[in-house]
Amino acid sequence: MDLITISGKGGKECSVRLRGHELTTDMSAEEGGNDGGPSPVELLGCSLGACIAMMVQSYCDRQGYTDGKVDVSLTLELADDPKRIGGFIVDVELPADVPENRLAAVRKIAEHCPVHATLNTPPSVDIDFTLGNT
Amino acid sequence: MAQMEFGGKMMEIDEDGFIQDPEVWDQAVAADLAKTEGVEELSEDHWKVVNYLRGYYLEFNMAPMIRKLCKESGFKLKEIYELFPSGPAKGACKVAGLPKPTGCV
Repeated sequence: MDLITISGKGGKECSVRLRGHELTTDMSAEEGGNDGGPSPVELLGCSLGACIAMMVQSYCDRQGYTDGKVDVSLTLELADDPKRIGGFIVDVELPADVPENRLAAVRKIAEHCPVHATLNTPPSVDIDFTLGNT
Repeated sequence: MAQMEFGGKMMEIDEDGFIQDPEVWDQAVAADLAKTEGVEELSEDHWKVVNYLRGYYLEFNMAPMIRKLCKESGFKLKEIYELFPSGPAKGACKVAGLPKPTGCV
């Protein structure tokens, strides 16, 4: 796994760098940010949706279901105390030639994608702090 | 708390524009609330969502989960967002005169 670095850019904006890619996270204006990019919480939703889309599309490609493509629409239900994501609502649109009797298999693939599996079996998070950064 | 006029009536709204007293809601209020969400005219499909939310709220005193809204109204998630660009919580619930749902950001 490559190193992911995140640097504050001022305000709520952060620069995220990994494998030569760079993206910006921020909060919306109504949440006190400058809307310079998706929020960290939104990115978690993006991770889940993209993982499902990738895995299901790969399955359809392997099976030769080519009458259309895979699209995922997703939103988050937020919860309080503590403030967190309470649920993901995910709609997956499939190619027209996926047989009805293969939908259970498709669901299994979506539910076993690595991000979904991570959410289902929460990982440990080990945080260390260092003073004196400039 | 701020006040604004909706449907010819002055009413209190929170910082996100949700009316504070669901009892004062009517169709004219909904039409004006919709304009604050960028929806100039409420179509039959908009009303289908709004009326479902309203009915659920009056029965259970809370907003339905999003998946329930989709199933009961017959709209896919994407279609709800096409109708209410701010989404089911921030957009549709606001137009239906519901309090801001818990955890809504």
